[in-house]
Amino acid sequence: MMGETEAVEIDDILDDWFIESLKSYKDLHVYQLEHPTQIIEWTSGKTVCVAGYSSGKNEILELCLPLKLLADEKKSLCAERDFKVVHGGFSEGPVCCLTHIPGTRCAVTNDGLTSDLQLWDLGADDTDVIRKTGSLPGTSVSQAGSRIAARLSSPPQVLHGPQSSSVQLTQLSTGQTLYRLEVDSTEPLSSLKFVSETTFLASCCDGTVYLADTRTSAPPQASPPPGECAPWWTDASAAPQCRVIRLSSSGQAVVSDLRNLGGALCRAQLDVQTLPRKPEDVTVAWAPALDGCFSVSGLSGLVQIYDSAGWRAEPQDASPLFQHAGHSVSSQHGDGSAPVFITTHVWHPERPRTLLSAASDGSVHVWDWVDPQTN
Amino acid sequence: MPEIKVTPLGAGQDVGRSCILVSIGGKNIMLDCGMHMGYNDDRRFPDFSYITQNGRLTDFLDCVIISHFHLDHCGALPYMSEMVGYDGPIYMTHPTKAICPILLEDFRKITVDKKGETNFFTSQMIKDCMKKVIPLNLHQTVQVDDELEIKAYYAGHVLGAAMVHIKVGSESVVYTGDYNMTPDRHLGAAWIDKCRPDILISESTYATTIRDSKRCRERDFLKKVHETIERGGKVLIPVFALGRAQELCILLETFWERMNLKAPIYFSTGLTEKANHYYKLFITWTNQKIRKTFVQRNMFEFKHIKAFDRSYADNPGPMVVFATPGMLHAGQSLQIFKKWAGNDKNMVIMPGYCVQGTIGHKILNGQRKLEMEGRSTLDVKLQVEYMSFSAHADAKGIMQLIRMAEPRNMLLVHGEAAKMEFLKGKIEQEFSIDCYTPANGETVAVTTNPSVPVDISLNLLKREMALGGPLPDPKKPRTMHGTLIMKENSLKLVSSEQALKELGLNEHQLRFTCRVQLQDPHSDSDTLHRIYTHLKSVLKDYTIQHLPDGTVMVESIVIKVSSSAEDANAKVLLLSWSYQDEDLGSYLSSLLKKGLPT
Repeated sequence: MMGETEAVEIDDILDDWFIESLKSYKDLHVYQLEHPTQIIEWTSGKTVCVAGYSSGKNEILELCLPLKLLADEKKSLCAERDFKVVHGGFSEGPVCCLTHIPGTRCAVTNDGLTSDLQLWDLGADDTDVIRKTGSLPGTSVSQAGSRIAARLSSPPQVLHGPQSSSVQLTQLSTGQTLYRLEVDSTEPLSSLKFVSETTFLASCCDGTVYLADTRTSAPPQASPPPGECAPWWTDASAAPQCRVIRLSSSGQAVVSDLRNLGGALCRAQLDVQTLPRKPEDVTVAWAPALDGCFSVSGLSGLVQIYDSAGWRAEPQDASPLFQHAGHSVSSQHGDGSAPVFITTHVWHPERPRTLLSAASDGSVHVWDWVDPQTN
Repeated sequence: MPEIKVTPLGAGQDVGRSCILVSIGGKNIMLDCGMHMGYNDDRRFPDFSYITQNGRLTDFLDCVIISHFHLDHCGALPYMSEMVGYDGPIYMTHPTKAICPILLEDFRKITVDKKGETNFFTSQMIKDCMKKVIPLNLHQTVQVDDELEIKAYYAGHVLGAAMVHIKVGSESVVYTGDYNMTPDRHLGAAWIDKCRPDILISESTYATTIRDSKRCRERDFLKKVHETIERGGKVLIPVFALGRAQELCILLETFWERMNLKAPIYFSTGLTEKANHYYKLFITWTNQKIRKTFVQRNMFEFKHIKAFDRSYADNPGPMVVFATPGMLHAGQSLQIFKKWAGNDKNMVIMPGYCVQGTIGHKILNGQRKLEMEGRSTLDVKLQVEYMSFSAHADAKGIMQLIRMAEPRNMLLVHGEAAKMEFLKGKIEQEFSIDCYTPANGETVAVTTNPSVPVDISLNLLKREMALGGPLPDPKKPRTMHGTLIMKENSLKLVSSEQALKELGLNEHQLRFTCRVQLQDPHSDSDTLHRIYTHLKSVLKDYTIQHLPDGTVMVESIVIKVSSSAEDANAKVLLLSWSYQDEDLGSYLSSLLKKGLPT
């Protein structure tokens, strides 16, 4: 009696997409986690954290990327294609948000149910266990989860909050509040991101963004939503690009200069399905090493990469430069159950075309795509 | 307390040599006998001095079991059996028995002939070792002796790989060897029933990894082959006849068909014959797809893959060739390699591990200039690709296997404790079992709780039932008295009378008497009555009687009172009890020694 599964139909679909993938990807790795993750967070150039989001106990894992992917000159002589679980731990509740505090082995999480934060020690060489070291209370008012952001600072600090009126910068070791965003609006946040050591962007689900400086208590620069169809998602790229992209659930994309948020540099209508979305469904991210390129997941069942280089001020239809269909094509779900959706994706901080994406079926893909324009 | 002892032999934290000792129910078993491929000296062999400081191992081991033919699991077997000395049974599956000697001989040739080593086993030793092998079939219980039985389960991984279930009495251990939980193109996935062993022993090497899908490995392989063919290059794939060759052929055939490719693919003839022969022999060890294919046609009859002739190597244009041996250490694959190495359009794909001393090993270490026979140098300009297709279980796989077998304890070998804490915690939490992570050379003793089944006589059972109380419940142990008779292989619990009858012995009764002196001015009968009242208040659960013949009885214990001859105010109590009431009797005498309440 030998355990076998012979899903012939899925194999055929895989065959087509996989054979196409020989040309369209330089590298492709497909993994199956025991439980799906909603977060992928870099903790170093080689390691990422993933974590479960079910209602009970969940695992937090720190994974080391496969050696073969990272090896450059010796790539062909390296056969290691697997993720290595370098550290692991358990969370009592779901992990909806996880941010690594740069310069430390500390991570901060939020369960999406309250605005409280949990603090974790990711572990060093002498142990492979991720341990909870404490917690930071959020504002007691909110029933929603917090967004979290951090940048390199000494002593370590974390920026967090569930809505625009309760964003604060807290010192990790003391719990002291160092700064508060002075804004009255109680709009829920879709993201928080530092764009420099002292300035950050707080983006709301309704499309409003605030650019604030932690050194001053003066009110932040505010920019109203650039259009209709909330929720909106935002990403900002730091200097020298200084670009902000705002994306609506209808697929409208607006790019502005960070220094002039009110004006739109260019706009486009992305090729996406227009269906109602929850704020946590969608991720939009600028490519760290490809000027003008950004990625979108959660609006079409695929991870799409767009190049905004040719965009103009008048809105036009934009087609993706590249689409990663791997998750929907190799989905483990049979007929009848809900289709697989992408929960999150991230770019590699240095390798120009390497991304990691995760889906609701527990799959995690690591892929290095080939620019179709260079073929 | 009964316990099972497990010791992974070896020193330090190094992986790469499997040899585990298990002591269970008085039996000693060696699981695998691997060679460490990283060392050139005695460190490559397991350290057998743990078993005995000097002399042969025969007296100390009840059997040796080999899980599969990889050298890190069987490479030291001939050394152990012929050079250290072991004449007992060696168990392995049929395919392992057929393939092991081929690999061992290859390995011996490389080590002795190529590297010039002397302290190594000979060809004759390999043959003598294999004579001691008793082959196993899947799911068949084999009695090693009266008490020790073993059973092999399908492990996947490579042809003939097995997981082994070892049982002595009601204690058992399962050793996984290397296994995988996902089927691939030519092998199925590991499977075991809910055998609930006391310990499940597994490797920890891959336990903390998450495996890349087999389709991505295949994709990489096809991509490399296709790119080389497209630029007009030639691809050499050195293979071992029974490993991945078959699988890679199926893959290329499917790809060639889909892409309508014309470049020729060749398979060296030696490979075909050997492979066909072995697959026919071991058809039950491959998966359903292969069996169906094999029934319909010859295993290696492909549309796009033809038999190789050595002259083809000089043909111009792109081609793919599968040739033996797998590590480029001799024969056809080496010949072809020499011809193609100088052209940078060509590629060699190494699908597996290469032993030190082989050309395969050298080029995988980046060597681009090779010294060949006759002092000539070979410039390696072709592309060298190392690909791993071996199927191993990962973190998820281990959890799946534990769910299948339901062991009472888990034991992970060949891992660093600091790097296993998370997995250990995860297993302990999810399954509520203990997880052990011994270092090499460290012994773990796992306490077992074996149940010993005993027949009980109807007589005794009725007597127990008559005492009342709750019905027998496996969760509520109950103490009872009886005589245990061990005859042949059965255990029987009977009443003492029955035992005496069976043994033809007379029953003797032992009665104790004890005199207690008490200061009491009352009359004898009054004192007796006072004793009666006192005992009645203290021993509420016992039957206490004041009998008309002037005695007090507590259960079967008799108490008499008489006056002391020397002292008018003193009484002498005579207590008498039978051996069965020893406890109560001693208690009563101490109690009465304390005197009576006023």
